[in-house]
Amino acid sequence: MKERDGSGAHKVRQVEAIASGTVIDHIPAAMTLKVVNLLAEVEDQVFVGINLRSSRVGRKGVVKIAGRELPERTVSSLALIAPQATISIIRDYEVIAKYQVPMPDVFADIARCDNPNCVTNHERWPTRMEVVLRDPLTVRCTYCERTFAANELSLI
Amino acid sequence: MTFAGRHVLSISDFARADILHVLASAGRLEREPRPDLLAGRLMATLFFEPSTRTRLSFEAAMHKLGGRVIGFSDVGSTSTKKGESLADTLRMVEQYADVIVIRHPRDGAARLASEVSRVPIINGGDGANQHPTQTFLDLYTIAKLFPRLVDGGEPLTIAFAGDLRYGRTVHSLLVALCHFGVRVLTVAPRGLEMPDTYLNHAFTAGIDVEPVPSLQEAVRRSDVLYMTRLQEERFPDPLEFGHIKASYRINAAMLAGAPAHLRILHPLPRVNEIAIDVDRTEHAHYFAQAGNGIVVRQALLGLVLGKM
Repeated sequence: MKERDGSGAHKVRQVEAIASGTVIDHIPAAMTLKVVNLLAEVEDQVFVGINLRSSRVGRKGVVKIAGRELPERTVSSLALIAPQATISIIRDYEVIAKYQVPMPDVFADIARCDNPNCVTNHERWPTRMEVVLRDPLTVRCTYCERTFAANELSLI
Repeated sequence: MTFAGRHVLSISDFARADILHVLASAGRLEREPRPDLLAGRLMATLFFEPSTRTRLSFEAAMHKLGGRVIGFSDVGSTSTKKGESLADTLRMVEQYADVIVIRHPRDGAARLASEVSRVPIINGGDGANQHPTQTFLDLYTIAKLFPRLVDGGEPLTIAFAGDLRYGRTVHSLLVALCHFGVRVLTVAPRGLEMPDTYLNHAFTAGIDVEPVPSLQEAVRRSDVLYMTRLQEERFPDPLEFGHIKASYRINAAMLAGAPAHLRILHPLPRVNEIAIDVDRTEHAHYFAQAGNGIVVRQALLGLVLGKM
């Protein structure tokens, strides 16, 4: 799809524009499908671009979820896998709000604990990871008290 | 300070003032036993893995305060074997008991239990994670031997020897000692050194942790030598285990040059790391240490049940 930018030149969009909804941009390319898994519902219309050119992160991913404006609270779970991502809320093809992924104090039931002996891997019980360091993102399991680099964890 | 209704899950949950309150309460109970303090109260011991020593110590503590005890120490006889979740077991037992002591093979089981239970949970050991009542009794023992641990004065030198990587008692004790301005020496086989997480914690707290090359040096320089057991399964090569075991074994002859006040502690059970001939020396203090477990657990029971 083509659209005009401010200079009047034509710019080719790498991923279909959406009339309304949420755009998650500047995702590290390898994390793109995880973002889809984390945020998209079964009924959602979702447009995905992977390995797109980006001056900021090299190769990036973009995820566009049509028709739903995701609240900040929902996207905070992205902080675990794509802390540099930007979120744009779209209405009638216009960006009406744009924000960075907020860093929560706690990730509730988003990632599995990497400690095989942690009780959360043996009982049906939600996981809970507390942020102990923001850069590099480091979390501590509330239950087994082990500390992990966020990029070591797998999502639920 | 009120401890009523509080869970005892991890030593990290306790500030310096909390720890001092527990130690002072244990001291009071040792001087003035209170055989009726917990009359009419019921303690449940849920031992999902066997630990005779810890269970007997808790049961003795409750009986000495006039309370009663129910519980199990064999998962085979419970509904867990039928697939009941830990949370459901807790929801049942909290209806029966005023306080619950849990021992469980999984890390974090006690914390999970505390989120279900309306009555206080005391962690009697959760996997490789925490065993806070052991840490309280270790601190009580050290403070009783050397009151300057809590009163201030020349910092104590405490040496940890043996398996410092997997031994949860040394991790928790180091974290707790960070409140008390001690000097720490470590002596451990290669690969079984104190993990960085705990070294960083000590560093942040301004505690000096110095690795020393031999048990002899630790003996010469310490007020307290805290020994731990080396487990054969940590060593892939049995021959290597044989050599290392020998260099982490203390005997009476090695104590000839030790300062008179040196005391040796061990969470027990010991296997070979402390020779029997050490028992007769004035340095041996591990059995007295285990005995302190009763009064410390009495204090914790009295506190969380709001009776102290």
